Amino acid sequence: MFVTNTEEIPGKKIVTCHGVVSGSTVRAKHVGRDIMAGLKNIVGGELKGYTELLIDAREQAFERLQEQARQLGANAVVNVRFSTSSVAAGASEIYIYGTAVTVE
Amino acid sequence: MLDLYFLLALVVTGFVVGQYLEKRHYQSIYKRERALVNLVTTSSKHPVGDIPPVTDRRLVQGSVVVSVDYFKRLLAALRNFFGGNVRAYETLVDRARREAILRLKESCPDASQIINLRIETSSISKGRKNQIGSVEVLAYATALYY
Amino acid sequence: MKYRAALPEHNDNVSHEHPLKEFFVLLAGAIGVIGVVYLMLGLFIDFAVDYVTPEMELRIFRTTDMIWEESGVQKDDERRQSLQALMGEVGTCLKIAYPITVRISESEQINAFAVPGGTVIVHTALLDALASKNGLAFVLAHELGHFQNRDHLRAMGRGIVLLAIFAALGGGGTDLSDMLVPVTDYETARFSQERESEADATALRALNCLYGHIGGATELFEVIAGSGNDVDFSFTHYFSSHPAARQRIAELHRLSEQLGFSLADTLPK
Repeated sequence: MFVTNTEEIPGKKIVTCHGVVSGSTVRAKHVGRDIMAGLKNIVGGELKGYTELLIDAREQAFERLQEQARQLGANAVVNVRFSTSSVAAGASEIYIYGTAVTVE
Repeated sequence: MLDLYFLLALVVTGFVVGQYLEKRHYQSIYKRERALVNLVTTSSKHPVGDIPPVTDRRLVQGSVVVSVDYFKRLLAALRNFFGGNVRAYETLVDRARREAILRLKESCPDASQIINLRIETSSISKGRKNQIGSVEVLAYATALYY
Repeated sequence: MKYRAALPEHNDNVSHEHPLKEFFVLLAGAIGVIGVVYLMLGLFIDFAVDYVTPEMELRIFRTTDMIWEESGVQKDDERRQSLQALMGEVGTCLKIAYPITVRISESEQINAFAVPGGTVIVHTALLDALASKNGLAFVLAHELGHFQNRDHLRAMGRGIVLLAIFAALGGGGTDLSDMLVPVTDYETARFSQERESEADATALRALNCLYGHIGGATELFEVIAGSGNDVDFSFTHYFSSHPAARQRIAELHRLSEQLGFSLADTLPK
């Protein structure tokens, strides 16, 4: 499935528009990552544990987006936008939305 | 001991009433989505298809703040211990988002198309440290009339 | 480009597992993990405490002795000195090599307690409630038993462990730690009751060593049981720090039978 954050897919023509689709996950860290992050706070630098956590969450949200587009009968999603926010203590929500279209 | 009973009472009330309210909200969302499904909506900047000259264009928005019940808050705290998907909060954000988009659509029922839909999410803190339990979703777009 | 309206058949953005099932699984897991950590640290504390000798403890807590001087505890008098002499006899039987000071405190509560650093406080109400020297000796031996078993050190160590666990859980005051407080209260009470029973057993042996019989051992408990202030056998007794008086009397009878001790007449005060 084509997923892009441009208006159109270069080289393809949009035939049908199916509306707005979205994929989201809410993922929490666990105590182990917390402790490592706490230690890392002393020296600074990238918190690899959290980065990996959010990458996994984003992948899952991505799959859900594509699944929802597939259910509507689309084969591409254009104009995709990402958003991250924290909704609970220690958990953050990854939200991806776009327009599902059929291209040929 | 009294603390424990009080806590249990809160949790049970939160669970029973919360589940019921959530189910009711979802039913309302399904009904309204079905009614408004024919309103063309897109997150692209350009309208869908070739359209006649536009007579009016307006910025429209819809927003909602939704909170979780006590049971779900406890569940999220437990989940924080082990990590993974916080399933309790997934329904929260899903409901909030769909409700915001529906309110946006309901604010302009006569529109012909809605383009450039964007969604902003922010969390609202309860006041006690780290206890965030509600989420605000704002959906905004341009409504075209032709 | 045309528009085809549709709605997704199933909602993938939420999971359809029942929240109650998830809740119980997670709760069981959390209690299990905390239980294991607590047990392991408890074992470690028991192991470490044996390395703190009474002399070390005395030195550490010597400063608290001065606090008692000013807190309104009664001054030195004949009653206190005779109590101190009795304490000395009991101490010899228990083979305690370091000095224990006994002080009398004016109070209507029937109570006596051991303070870290080698001090035992006895309330006047307790002195008035007991009619025999043997009963008093039992109480003093019980408190000395706490010293010998390093009970207050163990309790302190466990308290620190609990604090650390709660801090790791995200700071006290979050919903999760609020929920787990009754679990730890129960565990603390159970531990405390165990140590009280141990001290009772030590005192029984000391009484037999001092007088050759265990008459008067249960005198204080009989007074408490009869006074109506005893912890009753409802649910709350699981959470109290001492076993109920009736239970302690029964336990002492059982132990004295097991060890072959005998009853005899008691001495007046």
